[in-house]
Amino acid sequence: MKILVIVRQTPDTEAKIQANSSGNGIQTDDIKWILNPFDEFAVEEAVQIKEKTGAEVVVLTVGAERSVDAIRTSLAMGGDSGVHIKDDSFADMDSFALGKVIGSKIKSLGDIDLILAGKKWIDEESSQVPIQVAEELDIPQATLATKVEVDEGSKTVKVTSVIEGGEEIRELKLPAVVTVEQGINEPRYASLPGIMKAKKKPCEEVGVDGINSDEIGIAADALGSAGSRVKTDNIEIPTISRSLKVLEGNDVQQASAELAKLLREEAKII
Amino acid sequence: MSEIWVLVDKAQDTVRNVTYEVLSAASKLKEKNGATVCAVYVGDNSGAIEADLGKYGAEKFYKIENPALKDFNPSLYAAALSEVIKKHNPDIVLGGNTLQNQDFLPRVASRTAAGLCLDAIDVDMSSSSTLQVKRYKYSGKSIATISFHDVKPMIATVRLNAFKPTEGSASAEVVSESVDLPSDENYKVIETKIIPKERPELTEADKIVSGGRGMANGENFKVVYDLADSLGAGAGASRAAVDSGWVPYEMQVGQTGKVVSPNLYVAVGISGSVQHYAGMGSSKVIVAINKDPDAPIFQKCDYGICGDLFDVLPALTDEIKKLG
Ligand SMILES: Cc1cc2nc3c(=O)[nH]c(=O)nc-3n(C[C@H](O)[C@H](O)[C@H](O)COP(=O)(O)OP(=O)(O)OC[C@H]3O[C@@H](n4cnc5c(N)ncnc54)[C@H](O)[C@@H]3O)c2cc1C
Repeated sequence: MKILVIVRQTPDTEAKIQANSSGNGIQTDDIKWILNPFDEFAVEEAVQIKEKTGAEVVVLTVGAERSVDAIRTSLAMGGDSGVHIKDDSFADMDSFALGKVIGSKIKSLGDIDLILAGKKWIDEESSQVPIQVAEELDIPQATLATKVEVDEGSKTVKVTSVIEGGEEIRELKLPAVVTVEQGINEPRYASLPGIMKAKKKPCEEVGVDGINSDEIGIAADALGSAGSRVKTDNIEIPTISRSLKVLEGNDVQQASAELAKLLREEAKII
Repeated sequence: MSEIWVLVDKAQDTVRNVTYEVLSAASKLKEKNGATVCAVYVGDNSGAIEADLGKYGAEKFYKIENPALKDFNPSLYAAALSEVIKKHNPDIVLGGNTLQNQDFLPRVASRTAAGLCLDAIDVDMSSSSTLQVKRYKYSGKSIATISFHDVKPMIATVRLNAFKPTEGSASAEVVSESVDLPSDENYKVIETKIIPKERPELTEADKIVSGGRGMANGENFKVVYDLADSLGAGAGASRAAVDSGWVPYEMQVGQTGKVVSPNLYVAVGISGSVQHYAGMGSSKVIVAINKDPDAPIFQKCDYGICGDLFDVLPALTDEIKKLG
């Protein structure tokens, strides 16, 4: 059995986000990059399945040179090998183009049984890429998994998913795409020996000197912004402008009465 | 004649409010491009809802009904909607940013080679009649303006509560579309458990009261629930409260929890971390209850009481009840 985890490198959750000089991206100079926090759960889930079944775990990312660190972190957690699609020469892909790129690369890898991913990328606030990959591969998907049980015998996976108002148990034929909910497991920290070992694990690089369409399996014009359907025109950093009326709570009854009145008469919200 | 489609969201027999919100977003676009606003239902049986849809601006109502669409299945829903999209070529397809739409519209986008933006907080048309949306990026820290290439359809979901329903007086002409669906051997629903909720779902709630580490334990959340109930609000929590095991993860608001934008958000015993704010910063009015005058939340709220939450909450609940 072979599991592929789609991961993403994102700015640290504490990172200060500022628009860059062209106004449609962010300044990246002072940013600390991390493995997308939601992807940690996906990597952990893959490694737990590996521990039970002896599965092989491949970690794939699309991103600039530096994003190899997201792969290395995942390998240090227990992944076996990486695939780094270096998009330096065809960056800024939307989810449509990414679905195609990742989908075709997975097709060419061949024998993947289960594709795991975090539920959302915290930078793009995007949840759709794994689903678009599933569509490209014409395989089923279940999102927001709180439990994943693989049955190698029947080649199925049973997934408990969060749905509006409750949960649903679904059985998917493999190969399938599953995105995992936060809290499905307790992601391990990469140990020092793990980190050392990760450095030696194989990582295939795709698109090193610009892109050779054979490497990815789709034409060059399906890549980058040419292959995309949407583009970011502008990034604005909203300034927080709130009225900051803080009441002293020494006399709680009076302060509470005052607050209730403000909410009714000034904010007109209750 | 170009069309803007709005996906209908139904709970049992009634149309959910989010549908009317999205119809109102579609009406805004219609002012720019004069397109026909159409409601679109995908499922096994829509019932007689065309009058309600018309009242909120739908001029046409496509019903895509098929018994195979009884249970939600992302592939089949995508197949059904994509087939009808290919037949009628709408310019724009909008839906509420519900879990179901988030689950199957990406497949529709890939099938129809469409652009897709989820969770728009505003929609507009550029001069060249392509869709333009605003949405958060980088965990609520920035607002991006995103424009679609001139390729149809352009698909987007709209954040709940981002638009107010507007009543009109259209009457929706009903068009029934039948679709052939293969049976899906790859995806089976084994069990659906709807867990009855005492309070409104966070992502839909008009008001939310959330507790943080200041609650000190799970039992103490009672004061949060009491205030929530006096307001008819949903109840949420910070990650600190969830990680401490006091309340379940589904209550977590923030960067790695739910993103909410109610009209009123009351943060109780919550310091106001970047990650928490990422999940509630777009709320219309933010109220903070905290005993630390230097808590960061007091720098990003509209109203606050600096005091011990165990004194303030019962008093505030009282005062809210008095107002009736
Ligand atoms: C990758 C990552 C993702 C994260 N995602 C999230 C997320 O989704 N959501 C989230 O909330 N956090 C998230 N966090 C955690 C975040 O950084 C904070 O640790 C967390 O929000 C703090 O929760 P809190 O405000 O309840 O606790 P604290 O920061 O400890 O604040 C408690 C507050 O309660 C006040 N208080 C204490 N007792 C009382 C009392 N009796 N009366 C009144 N006030 C009192 C204190 O003055 C203090 O301000 C994330 C962190 C990381 C690293």
